[in-house]
Amino acid sequence: MPSKGRVLMAMSGGVDSSTAAALLKSQGYDVIGATMQVWDYSQCEIVEGEGTCCSSIDVEDARAVADLIDIPFYVLNCESQFREKVIDPFVQSYLQGHTPLPCVDCNTYLKFDHLIRKMAELDCQFLATGHYAQVVPTPSGALGIQTSSDRWKDQTYFLFTIDPAILPRLIFPIGHLQKDEVRNLARQFGLSVASKKDSTGICFVGQQGYQKFVEAEVPTNILNQKRGDIKLFPTGSKLGTHEGIHRFTYGQSRGLGLDHHEKLFVIKIDGEKNVVWVGEEKYLYRDSLMVKNFKQLLPMKSGDTLNVKIRYAHVGAEARIEQMGETWKVQFKEPQRAITPGQACVFYQDEVLMGGGWIV
Amino acid sequence: MIKKVYLDYNATTPLGQSIVQAWADGLNFWGNPSSIHWASRPVRTLLRQTRQDLADLFGASSTEFIFTGGATEANNTVFNSLNELKRKNHPYFKNRNQILVSNTEHPSVIQSASHLQAMGWKVDWIKINQDGSIDLAEVQEQLSEQTALVSLHIANNETGVVYPIAELSKMVKGVGALFHTDAVQALGKMDIHLPTWGVDLATFSAHKFYSLKGLGVLYVKKQTPFEPLMLGGSQERKRRGGTENTFAVWSFSLMLKKLLDDQQNSNSPRPPFEHLKNLRDLLEQQIEKRISGVRWTGTAMPRLPNTSHMMISGIDGESLLMSLDLEGFAVSTGAACSSGNPEPSPVLINMGFSKQQAQQSLRVSLGYPTTKSDIYSFVDSLEKIVERLRKYQLNTIEREVNAI
Repeated sequence: MPSKGRVLMAMSGGVDSSTAAALLKSQGYDVIGATMQVWDYSQCEIVEGEGTCCSSIDVEDARAVADLIDIPFYVLNCESQFREKVIDPFVQSYLQGHTPLPCVDCNTYLKFDHLIRKMAELDCQFLATGHYAQVVPTPSGALGIQTSSDRWKDQTYFLFTIDPAILPRLIFPIGHLQKDEVRNLARQFGLSVASKKDSTGICFVGQQGYQKFVEAEVPTNILNQKRGDIKLFPTGSKLGTHEGIHRFTYGQSRGLGLDHHEKLFVIKIDGEKNVVWVGEEKYLYRDSLMVKNFKQLLPMKSGDTLNVKIRYAHVGAEARIEQMGETWKVQFKEPQRAITPGQACVFYQDEVLMGGGWIV
Repeated sequence: MIKKVYLDYNATTPLGQSIVQAWADGLNFWGNPSSIHWASRPVRTLLRQTRQDLADLFGASSTEFIFTGGATEANNTVFNSLNELKRKNHPYFKNRNQILVSNTEHPSVIQSASHLQAMGWKVDWIKINQDGSIDLAEVQEQLSEQTALVSLHIANNETGVVYPIAELSKMVKGVGALFHTDAVQALGKMDIHLPTWGVDLATFSAHKFYSLKGLGVLYVKKQTPFEPLMLGGSQERKRRGGTENTFAVWSFSLMLKKLLDDQQNSNSPRPPFEHLKNLRDLLEQQIEKRISGVRWTGTAMPRLPNTSHMMISGIDGESLLMSLDLEGFAVSTGAACSSGNPEPSPVLINMGFSKQQAQQSLRVSLGYPTTKSDIYSFVDSLEKIVERLRKYQLNTIEREVNAI
């Protein structure tokens, strides 16, 4: 069988990218596996059988799959890029009272930039990842990204920063499959990772939780400056104090440490005055938001009505978009709960990813 | 299918042809050499003969060689012995608590020294300069009546630089310290004469010399105070517990025989060493002729005849190594790393090279089976890959400049 071309396959050691690698190989591609080492594993707590996507156990799993399906496999040292482009902005975002989305930065600066370069350097025609997403031709003829056929697993929300110019070189080998089909295939290929637990949460944070992670990264004197008051909206009365704004996220109601007669939610975090505003749930709803660093995979224009997701788990809501200089305004048909700065606002037309930006 | 060319002989070597052809003979040596009955006799003869061959080759006595499970174990044994002797109040170490080790050693030496440091020993490091030289006057200042042991490898596995061990030995003996050399890289590449080197302890490895893995040799000169690492039976004159790896010894003995024949029947320089040097010179001439921006390491120093080390500007070493692998060429950018994760080589960093320089480094190490055609096809691929990588490096720089 003549080769369909040489592919650099990003392998995390999880079931999705492992199956993707085996699938590509069986389809006649010349596959080269690579794992990005992004983090010093020794700092992660590794629980046997519950590897996150950054543990050394996962690298060994990826290597075992590569050896089994007989493809070359390399570990790429990406620690410094990951530190600069993902970890540092992640920590800074929390210190500003935002809730960051590091997976998009990892995609933007590592998977679909650093790996694209590696693809070229290694004389590969394609780059493949185990994302649940599909590259499809759109009516205009240009390639676009469409949601995965598994609605629960769809990961297109994390892909809005992809440069459309690289789409002809991208392959998502499992985007047309359901998760259980992927696991079945993994079993058929005899992969040891077939029943490995899915990774959840942020890979480098581990079991300690993001709060402890941020606190370990930031000097105490700076952390102490992020302490402040908890105030009630709309009266402005002080209900208590807190140990740092990085401990809060929009919509949070548990762990506020308040003794109040009704259930309260974090409705705004003021990163400048370090005030955490709490209030009744109704104040969490807003009917519009502003987006910066707007990226378009396919052309969008002021006045378009699109389906909009404001967080990964969001089902999506109808909204009208309007350009206002550098930023874009998103006007929802129905008010949305807990619109959170630092998260992405991602636009779809039917099942096709149009683009996105960052919630201000 | 691409042609596979192995050019990483300093990491390990394929088995010698004589071993591959006669391997079934080796299986006869299954008896336990420590037994009294008939099954032990041929095995004991094999061990005895191999030790004698080592002695003849290296100008030593057969009782001075201990078989170990590998060179790493042999190196560990040296440092452990020191600590045990001190612990047992051996008079030699009464006022000696300093260890002097070069900072480009194999990890089994560096880690052993650091381990002793944590246990209270004073460890000082011999600095290896960027050109591979050692400032002997500086070493002289580091030495004192408190020095217990000096450990310096005869040749570095990455740069191939051969160190002035005999000169250093005189200085070490001057303060009455023990002298150890990790000579793993020397066997089969240069003449070894232990009395000339003037060392008390030396480490060798079978698998770096076309023999099976799992066998090291530790030379311990007569009268050298010594304590074993592996406690157990009375093998190796009670200096290393554990049944010897007899099949590996058999394979090693075949290779040593050839070396010995050569040493007895040819003049210096020996033909196999000349073969390596001629190919290495060809490799360096070809690269120099066809690829610009190459900086050589250690070329002004005495070097192993088989090792070439260079830094290639404008490329990413990680991609270079992978691209060469994908074209069938096995080379290395530093010491073989068990994690497979390309961190910059500590040897180069300790020699004072920048992280970037270390990441642009390439080590090519040749072996007896290497041919001229291997060299030519390697340089063809290297030229092509370097050109490609430089193109992308340039693209990235342009993109970064444009983004400003």
